[in-house]
Amino acid sequence: MSTTTAPSHKSMPSALTFDRHAKCSTTKARASTLHLPHGSVPLPIFMPVATQASLKGLTYDQLRETGCMLCLNNTYHLGLKPGQAVLDAVGGAHKLQGWDRNLLTDSGGFQMVSLLQLATVTEEGVRFLSPHDGSPMLLTPEHSISLQNSIGSDIIMQLDDVIATTSPDHARIKEAMDRSVRWLDRCIAEHKYPERQNLFCIIQGGLDLELRKQCCEEMVARDTPGIAIGGLSGGEAKEEFCKVVHTCTEMLPEHKPRYVMGVGYPEDIVVAVALGADMFDCVWPTRTARFGDAIVSSGTLKLSHKSFADDFGPVEEGCTCTCCRPTDQGGLGLTRAYMHHITAKETVGAHLLTIHNVHYMLTMMGKIRQAIIDDQYPAFLRKFFSDIYRGDKSNYPEWAVGALRGVGVDLLADS
Amino acid sequence: MTFSILASTAPILAPRVGKLAIPGRKTLATPHHIPLTSRGTVPHVAHDVMRDHTEINSLYAGLEDFIAKKEPSVYRTPVADHESPLKKFICVAEDMPLILGPRRFPPIPCPPANTNTSIALLTSVGFTQLSAHDYVKAIQKLRPDIAVGMVDLANKQPGSKRRGKMVDRTHAWTRDALEQLYGDAVAEKDKSKSAYFAPVLPLDNAQQSLYLDDLESEFRWDISGLALYESASLEFVPESLAGLPRLLFSEPETPHTILRDISLGADLLTTPLLGASSDGGIAMEFVFPAPAALQEGKSKPQPLGIDMWTADHATDISPLGEGCECYTCKNYHRAYIHHLLLAKEMTAWALLQVHNFHVMDTFFARVRDSIQHGSFEQDVQTFARVYAPSMPESSGEGPRLRGYQLPANGPNQPRRMPKIYGALDDAIQKFADAQSEIATPDTDASGLEEHGFAEKL
Repeated sequence: MSTTTAPSHKSMPSALTFDRHAKCSTTKARASTLHLPHGSVPLPIFMPVATQASLKGLTYDQLRETGCMLCLNNTYHLGLKPGQAVLDAVGGAHKLQGWDRNLLTDSGGFQMVSLLQLATVTEEGVRFLSPHDGSPMLLTPEHSISLQNSIGSDIIMQLDDVIATTSPDHARIKEAMDRSVRWLDRCIAEHKYPERQNLFCIIQGGLDLELRKQCCEEMVARDTPGIAIGGLSGGEAKEEFCKVVHTCTEMLPEHKPRYVMGVGYPEDIVVAVALGADMFDCVWPTRTARFGDAIVSSGTLKLSHKSFADDFGPVEEGCTCTCCRPTDQGGLGLTRAYMHHITAKETVGAHLLTIHNVHYMLTMMGKIRQAIIDDQYPAFLRKFFSDIYRGDKSNYPEWAVGALRGVGVDLLADS
Repeated sequence: MTFSILASTAPILAPRVGKLAIPGRKTLATPHHIPLTSRGTVPHVAHDVMRDHTEINSLYAGLEDFIAKKEPSVYRTPVADHESPLKKFICVAEDMPLILGPRRFPPIPCPPANTNTSIALLTSVGFTQLSAHDYVKAIQKLRPDIAVGMVDLANKQPGSKRRGKMVDRTHAWTRDALEQLYGDAVAEKDKSKSAYFAPVLPLDNAQQSLYLDDLESEFRWDISGLALYESASLEFVPESLAGLPRLLFSEPETPHTILRDISLGADLLTTPLLGASSDGGIAMEFVFPAPAALQEGKSKPQPLGIDMWTADHATDISPLGEGCECYTCKNYHRAYIHHLLLAKEMTAWALLQVHNFHVMDTFFARVRDSIQHGSFEQDVQTFARVYAPSMPESSGEGPRLRGYQLPANGPNQPRRMPKIYGALDDAIQKFADAQSEIATPDTDASGLEEHGFAEKL
């Protein structure tokens, strides 16, 4: 990986090993295993988001039961509550929340910029006004890494200069890309525990493919244990999203995990996997659960709708999650009718649907992985879209058809 | 249903240990507390958590939680002949003893008045009337293990006229219900399998003597238990009915009150303070009998619970209760619960419920032991001496309450929640809901700096 213009970088210690088991013979999809300090994670994987060190009402045994091996915490939120001093005193986020599997933390940059209106990004870091007393403050890459060192997450993310991908200001996009590279160097320098925490870089560059390529080149040269593609899921057109992922994965080394940040609709995931991405996170499955929406293979079910009031089947027939599994198979045998009865009314409704939705996402990832290993991923894709659109190809989203055509799968062709 | 009394010193007004057995159901040792459900769930306790991490072995449900619609779905639950549609609907195992009453407990007072044939209640869509006739139908269809009879209760202290009505109506409803459930006109195979607990009104003995007489004579063989609405009623239980289990619907504010009610002969008790403590971020801490270590030379009374909101727990990785065997204490610690409360995460209430249920279940188990050993009276006195007279105050906010959990808005009542948004700010509200993950710092710049979050410029 020393094909870059950057001065040679000393190789970074890594706290992970990446075993690639199979590559789809048609698409760019990969099946692999990521060995992290708190256990092995099958890739491709979806990571549920336990923002504030808790997954929406679930105990960690309930989360374990869904098969989850790696979940997210948010540096921004943990930095506010409980704060670095507490994290240090308790001994990190694993200890705090009683989770003995892997954690990934984002850097907090995204939340900074999207949540705090008065944030401005300078070379030093993100300047913002304290929401409480209005005094000016500064969050630097060093702060972010130091916090993530205290959190002790297995994968930590660099602080990047996040701007909306839809920004029309090309100069600003380039500046953000260049700055993210410079900040990566500062993050690497600040990182205290590279032998037990894996720092991932974040590729920026908006929707400009040339900038993305430059960024890939620069960042790959820094040899971080894993690579994230950032700045997406910000409302850009799906076509553009696919182009960016496609372009980046072309440039990325085969032997490192690739994480597309903030992406989590099932359709986006199956396409991004075909484009060569391995890891995904999104709050959507857990958030939508709290609004009473169940994810199923035909899309989502709005269980608060009255049509489910008398529906005494499981949330999804054949689903093996704790909620859907019949009682004689050790499950709870919950019905759509009962979920309708408690959804958005009792917190338990949110807990149970969160279990189902996370389990659904992880099972889907498992099926994706198996299909890749069996070299059946194109067939998987065809069935996946056929299930969601009930076989009506005229409803298939154009962006997905186009993106998959680019990697050799024609969804519209007769199978 | 059979109720056997295993230890007792007097037929009434004395603590007693019993066993309530319903064929095919988990057996209940009494005295016992009855876990209260809301829309069929024990609040914050998911079904798998209840199954795996609590000792919950009975449930109370109010019919009003299920009949918001004209044609309630609960009645259409497909079941086998021997199964209870209500249990099936709320997805609990058939062997879980289930008690059904017309109203959830504690009930929200309803401004509309009860009538001669119906009571006012509150569903998730508003106030409505439930007729005595429909309630009996519900018992027949839903097949709870125990049905609590319909009772005419007054919202405020009743005058003499109102008291007369209460007795007359309750008397008539009980007579009709027993007739329709078990009467001679009902074919043997259609007779209800549910055990009927007849209400005893929260009135003086003399005021309801005609009714109590009938309970003792005409109704005696159709009723399986008594439902009482204040502990004073325990005094009025006729001796000839002493063999029936007594279910006391009350709101004891402390374990001291629970002990008093048990000493007056209550067998099954509602303890809303359990859920209220969890909602308030209070971890219950009392042990019965008070441990010897606490009894010696302590001048300060021992607190009945810990307020998990206070900052002293921030870095405390000890369990909620020292040596506590509950799931929460074995897997999590005070610092985490404290963090979850501050972060308004639902998991806080789930974990506190698991702990508080364990404390309450252990408390009742020890009470039964103590009664059987004959040391109950003395243990109660020691308990009163060692522990503080009231539960600690919560210093934080509880979970968001829904309409059916709140008293009705009246002209003179304060707003439930502070007014935040204007009438047209619906969009903002929706946005806020969608962004519910977002935390805002609740500390100032120096606080943030101290947290290592960022630095002041």
